[in-house]
Amino acid sequence: MIRFLKNRFSAGGNTSQSPTLGTLEFELMEILWSGGESTVRDVVQKLTRPLAYTTVMTTLDRLFKKGLLNRHKPDRAFVYSPQLSRQEWERHRAGDLVAGFLSGPHPSRELLLSCFLDAVGEHDASLLDELEKKVRTRRKELSRKVQP
Amino acid sequence: MILPYLLRLSCLCFASFFVLNLAAGLLVRFFSKSAIRYTESKSPRSAARYLLALRLLPFALAALFVVALCVPSYLWLEPAAASERVGFLSIFLGILGAATWLISIARAIHSLVASWRHNRLCRLAGVDTHITGESSSLLVVESQAPLLAMSGLLRPRLLISRGVLQTLSSEELSAALLHEHAHRTSRDNAKRLLLLLAPDIFPFLRPLRALEHSWSKLAEWAADDEATSGDSNRAVSLAAALIQVARMGSAPRMPYLSTSLLACDRDLSTRIDRLLHPVSPARPVAKPVQHRLLTAGFLLAGSLTALLLTPSALSSVHQLLELLLH
Repeated sequence: MIRFLKNRFSAGGNTSQSPTLGTLEFELMEILWSGGESTVRDVVQKLTRPLAYTTVMTTLDRLFKKGLLNRHKPDRAFVYSPQLSRQEWERHRAGDLVAGFLSGPHPSRELLLSCFLDAVGEHDASLLDELEKKVRTRRKELSRKVQP
Repeated sequence: MILPYLLRLSCLCFASFFVLNLAAGLLVRFFSKSAIRYTESKSPRSAARYLLALRLLPFALAALFVVALCVPSYLWLEPAAASERVGFLSIFLGILGAATWLISIARAIHSLVASWRHNRLCRLAGVDTHITGESSSLLVVESQAPLLAMSGLLRPRLLISRGVLQTLSSEELSAALLHEHAHRTSRDNAKRLLLLLAPDIFPFLRPLRALEHSWSKLAEWAADDEATSGDSNRAVSLAAALIQVARMGSAPRMPYLSTSLLACDRDLSTRIDRLLHPVSPARPVAKPVQHRLLTAGFLLAGSLTALLLTPSALSSVHQLLELLLH
């Protein structure tokens, strides 16, 4: 019941939701996720399509204001870096989508189904490797038993 | 406070339900750790039934007392015309009792609605597919998410994502589907609804949650055992399926009234170990748990009937209720 009420309340006025990203914003985030700390000039050089320096600068500033980027000014230009790793951002987004999907009264939430189902995280890879090794060993034991 | 006849009866019913549910619940809470330890020596299915019965016991006892003793004694022995003063403690306990009921009903309705919505969305987005060797159809959802679940209450549907369908080999898929069918056969989703409907012993407090978690874990183990039916190769296939699905990421959040192949991530390692090296219960079960429960139920029903046929018993209950009322 508490969780239910919390969900109800949070659906109304949650300000901690991950912001949505436009195409260009996402493109810039991708560059920063893969390249790490970069200036506006660095980002412009890594873009796959020609874009004005000022456009990129404005977009990076917007991402900073959205709380997705950190920035500092060691010299004359700002150096931007992502505040969340790509994985963390995706997890937040997936969580928000799932919460919205479950609480939203709109018929359009069907469209969110695929996002909901893609809201995945990561298991401990080393543990899974270890478990898989056990399965392989057991398989071998069983096949040895079958063979005369 | 002076209350009319029927309102007094409702207040008494809720108050006595609350007191009995609280007392029995605290007793069960006190013994819950020992009970969980006790179930370790039993087969998962028997252990799950035992824990479920223990979790529902306070609710069942309190409800039985109210229905079988409280209401008849009040209706027979309380003069209908009299308007009596009701103590504030009685009203307070009555409100608490009503609150525990309301909360559990709201919780159950919320879960039912969430489950219904989820199933509807899956039906809209999914494609009914028949696969060879599978008697019922699967609802295949176009997604790479690790989804393999039995969802729904009256007519549970098997939901599977395209990603899982493509990832698992035919043996692994067959074992995983058998696991989900075992959940359907044992009506685990209906049992989940019962757990939601059983009122808490105090509003917003769920001290018997440990029993519910243990039941949930044992229900998964039982489904594993029933899916493999002692076949080592199938057990290995199911273990491999669990790992493959786990590699695809954490399972999507499912409604409470559904069972998923990877219901509890923390239990994965134990489940794999159980599947690869099955251990028979340390002590053979002398008598199936359901027989014991049935016997206990009959004994209880017999005792209650005897009590109902004894006017002095009802009179004693009525005196107790009067005490509670004032």
